[in-house]
Amino acid sequence: MSLLDDPKRLGEHVADFRARHPKKPMRQEFGAIMLALAERRPDVFAVTADLMYATGLVEFGARFPDRLVNVGIAEQNMIGVAAGLGGAGKLPVVCGYAAFIALRAVEQVKVDCAYNETKVILAGLSSGLTYGVGGPTHQTYEDLATLRAMPNTIVIVPNDTVQAALAMDAAVEHPGNTPIYLRLGRGPEHVLTKPGDPFRIGRANRLCDGDDVCLVANGALTFEAYLAADILRGEGIAAEVLDMHTVKPIDREAILDAAGRVDAMVVAEEHSRSGGLGAAVLEVLEDGHDFPVARIGLEDEYPPIGPMPDLRHALGLSGEAIARRARLLLDRKRSRRGR
Amino acid sequence: MTDRAPPPNDNGFVPLDLDQLREMARINRIDVADMFAAAGNGHYGSCYSCTEIMTALYFSVMRVDSRNPERPDRDRFIFSKAHAAPTLYSALIRRGFLPEEWIPEYETKVGVKLMTHQSRRYQPGVDASGGALGHGLSVGAGMAVAAKFDRSDHRVYVLLGDGELHEGSIWEAAAFAPKHKLDNLVAIVDRNRLSVDGRVDEVLPLEPLADRWKSFGWDVAEVDGHDLEALVKVLDVPRIGGSGKPLVVIAHTVKGRGVSFMEDVRSWHFDVISPQQDAALRLELSEPLK
Repeated sequence: MSLLDDPKRLGEHVADFRARHPKKPMRQEFGAIMLALAERRPDVFAVTADLMYATGLVEFGARFPDRLVNVGIAEQNMIGVAAGLGGAGKLPVVCGYAAFIALRAVEQVKVDCAYNETKVILAGLSSGLTYGVGGPTHQTYEDLATLRAMPNTIVIVPNDTVQAALAMDAAVEHPGNTPIYLRLGRGPEHVLTKPGDPFRIGRANRLCDGDDVCLVANGALTFEAYLAADILRGEGIAAEVLDMHTVKPIDREAILDAAGRVDAMVVAEEHSRSGGLGAAVLEVLEDGHDFPVARIGLEDEYPPIGPMPDLRHALGLSGEAIARRARLLLDRKRSRRGR
Repeated sequence: MTDRAPPPNDNGFVPLDLDQLREMARINRIDVADMFAAAGNGHYGSCYSCTEIMTALYFSVMRVDSRNPERPDRDRFIFSKAHAAPTLYSALIRRGFLPEEWIPEYETKVGVKLMTHQSRRYQPGVDASGGALGHGLSVGAGMAVAAKFDRSDHRVYVLLGDGELHEGSIWEAAAFAPKHKLDNLVAIVDRNRLSVDGRVDEVLPLEPLADRWKSFGWDVAEVDGHDLEALVKVLDVPRIGGSGKPLVVIAHTVKGRGVSFMEDVRSWHFDVISPQQDAALRLELSEPLK
């Protein structure tokens, strides 16, 4: 019996795979990223809306009190103040929750940052489902859609804490007068990235080679896609894994390169199936493709109550589900070809 | 006023005296009328209530430099009630930031440089793009924080509409500025008492407005918003050694001021002008206002 069809063996395999990839929590690591950044860049300001503790900025605030601007629970003002700082030549990093940056204050992001051509780094923690039992008010599955549709934005979804640090460095060095959104998680997540790994805005990282199916993912789902490729290997299926950490500008070249080789594509993200990474990939393929593309993400309904990461897995955002979907697409495609 | 030294390194600009300011206000109203004539319509009422405020800022109070629009120590102006941007365009044109040739092109075809709301993307001298209400005070406060951090002596002016004070985000910023002791920040409320749908305080009450700002920790000044002499005096806050509090200037104004048939008339917030009305307007604006 194949691995995917043997629940017991699959469960053991997945548990073993996960255990070999230790987890790190975003909140603490993000605080360390900000502290290191403030030490080396005197123009960096952290701007937060009463989330100093929640975004790990306590030591930042103790060391650089003049450069931590806590506006209180007032997210519209948070973005506006950050835009003002940016307009005055500072490098503001908004440290907040994804929901309150990309939804509550989305007009300030558009008008004061993107339209106004002001560089502001927007670090949105607790994105996707990562707030878990906080429920839909604190989960965010709409942010890629809102921020991607807005001209003059860069949208990055790092896959772990190490890549978050690389993405922050790239955002800091980016020369454009553009808001740069870093979509970050919350609790412990598997770490795939090593400190010296390459990271370029708009350039996907290929984590596995394969010509049967291409798995495209970002954020925490990158690890799940990586796990799916491992499972598929046992099925005799060679899966390419593209870590599409930058949703905008998307790496067209990487997608079109895979499109020329593979028989199916599965895109996985912790975002609504509307408007996120899956949509961005399909936009690249809109001139035509002769293979199926499945988008795994959140359906058009509010998720049930549940702790993380069980909630994620219950909603089909798991390596096993990605692998099953890939096998199904390939079986269908190849059986049609055989007819 | 004439004995004030010109602000340093300001492209040699000498602040206008009172008579010159009155004439400049007249020119501003005509420039605005010319832009709206080109477009066929415009926010006449909203512009003419803040003509003197804009004139006082750009021709006496503010340190700006048309040869170096982005110079770091310039005073900033954030036009939060941006639907009156043509008053700003006139000031920027008459101060040499923008060419006069842009006036008749206003909103006429694709690719022109001037539209209803100001934009940094097209107009040198604009410190923040605008249009959506409730944004400017936050942006100005952020700039004022940066100025304090840099120990720069420049000031930040934010012009708000009174109807705009319905926006909750204004009060987020109003709570923020006193905490940071932003005495380099001046908010000006164009208190013309009319919004799109009628009397501002009937749509949603603002009074007691001065007490509101005071209770948030602001210094409050009330002024006749068409009195250029009074405006210059109240707006020219100390560059250093201020009160430790941000200042709000509640400028009591008349919407449509200067054109009798527009004054305090709701519908002239934004309207189409007839050729007869345009001629009458120009006749009334042939002399500076008293």
